[in-house]
Amino acid sequence: MKSSKEKTTKYVPPKKNFKQKMVDIYHYRWFYLMFLPVFLSLLVFHYFPIYGIKFAFYDYTPFKEPTWVGFENFGYLFRSARFWRAFRNTIELSTIKLVLGMVFSVGLALLIDEIKSVAFRKVTQTIVYIPHFISWVVVASIFTLFLSPQSGMVNAIITAFGHEPIYFLASDSWWRVVFYLLNLWKETGWGTIIYIAALAGVDQEMYEAAAIDGATHWQRVKYVSIPAISITILTVFILNLAKVLNLFDSVFVLQNDSVIKSSDVIGTYVYRMGIVSANYGVSTASGLFKSVISVILITIANKLNKKIKGEGILG
Amino acid sequence: MMTEKLSFKKGRRGRTIFVICNVIFLCFLMLIMVIPLWKVIVDSLDPTSVGIRLWPKQISFYAYQTILSKKSLYLPFFVSVYTTIGATAVGLLMTTLAAYVILQQEIPGRKLMIGYIMFTMLFSGGMIPAYLNIQRLGLMNNLLVIILPAGVSTYNIVLMRSFFESIPSTLYEAAELDGCTPLRTFWKIVLPLSKPALASVGLFIAVGTWNEYMPFILYMQDNTKMNFQVKVRELILQDALSGTAISASDDMLKSAVVVVVVFPFLIIYPFVQKYFTKGVTVGAVKG
Repeated sequence: MKSSKEKTTKYVPPKKNFKQKMVDIYHYRWFYLMFLPVFLSLLVFHYFPIYGIKFAFYDYTPFKEPTWVGFENFGYLFRSARFWRAFRNTIELSTIKLVLGMVFSVGLALLIDEIKSVAFRKVTQTIVYIPHFISWVVVASIFTLFLSPQSGMVNAIITAFGHEPIYFLASDSWWRVVFYLLNLWKETGWGTIIYIAALAGVDQEMYEAAAIDGATHWQRVKYVSIPAISITILTVFILNLAKVLNLFDSVFVLQNDSVIKSSDVIGTYVYRMGIVSANYGVSTASGLFKSVISVILITIANKLNKKIKGEGILG
Repeated sequence: MMTEKLSFKKGRRGRTIFVICNVIFLCFLMLIMVIPLWKVIVDSLDPTSVGIRLWPKQISFYAYQTILSKKSLYLPFFVSVYTTIGATAVGLLMTTLAAYVILQQEIPGRKLMIGYIMFTMLFSGGMIPAYLNIQRLGLMNNLLVIILPAGVSTYNIVLMRSFFESIPSTLYEAAELDGCTPLRTFWKIVLPLSKPALASVGLFIAVGTWNEYMPFILYMQDNTKMNFQVKVRELILQDALSGTAISASDDMLKSAVVVVVVFPFLIIYPFVQKYFTKGVTVGAVKG
């Protein structure tokens, strides 16, 4: 408490003694009361489960008492080909998804920023945001119908050109393509919101100065707009990097038995091991493995962020 | 810069071609966004619609009548409405409280509180520990599991705080001088002034809860506790993979169910959209 207090009051040097501090705390008593529900909610639903991580080191199923097995669960995982397959798939699916999503969002934001008609701009934004609010369950439902080999629109076009219908969601080679495309369909529009805001914040004088210096329009985009939003791009990238391994809902609702090989990710592996097979120990261990890697990724990303931003300020 | 003259004079030609191509491209993109949704609506109305047709040849409300006559769909719909309203109320309360407390720069322990919230974004127990926790708390099969944890998301709290920051602090000081307790200031001044933020965060929480699927699969056991999303998925998956012949009316029904589940959002969205663009933008620029 004391050290954190000192950090927050960097600019208010006088040290407060214990009594003054108590007076302060008393002064803010209502605020602590207001924080209480938030505190409790997070405690019960977020901090309590963290205690359950200990089961990663136990042999635990619903039918017997948990027994301590040390790192045996991890040993099982690391020897399991399916776990590594899920791990590889997670990395591949989410990295490609992340990169594609960012490239398309930044591109779309730059294109929308070029639109000078307020009305057209508003309509565009309103429409491209819609898919973000549709749940993965419904997206999967819509596209199950849309891509259906019997009655779907896409296959109707394919057969109209005299080709065989393709069962997109049940084919190992097509599933990933569909997965990336659906992610682009759902999230590209929403992804632009932050870049459009950042672009709106760019000082107009910079553009005018560039124009006076004889910069073409493309040069203005390249040397003013893109550098101006690069920090935002980086921040979004880092925030998303932290979530790279959390892939679950989207895969779960699009998955079926015939495409397990190319679509199984750690999230769905944990679900099958833990909820379907009720092997709590092993699935907690794989969840923990995922969380630890995530934390490492976040820490590295954060360090990089500080470094790059720091250099940005200096240079 | 608001409007641009389009001309094909020398020197402006390249720019003009770009602007036209850009507009065409964006229109094309909007079509891609809309066609899958539009197609579902058309298919739910037209019993003869198969394949490529994008305009209903004939309109029949048969599918919607069937849905209305299916009493088994009423309860899931009600569960969805109930959890959405509950979670939005709880979530908005939690988010605004957390944001308002964190707004106090001088409060002892501020860093601890921020850390306490931020940590949840960094590390979590994972699916199975969360599941075992709910089991141990005796909350299995209880809809409170959906309602209570809602909304305490770091993102929403940061967004809300950025919004509160835009309220002039003199207002708070004046209220304090007039003898308002912080609770009263919060209720009488902060909340009424933050309607755009309340609307946008409220929409996020409401849509998030309406769209909730996994918690129902994980924590609910009774069929009577399932929400509409779960039902939609059940209906869609029926014979989708078995490859048996699907009658046109089946597809119509499936499309209609999808329309029903998206409809409430499409109704609210245009009204709230103007707020959330503003709200999210404030949050985004402040980082």
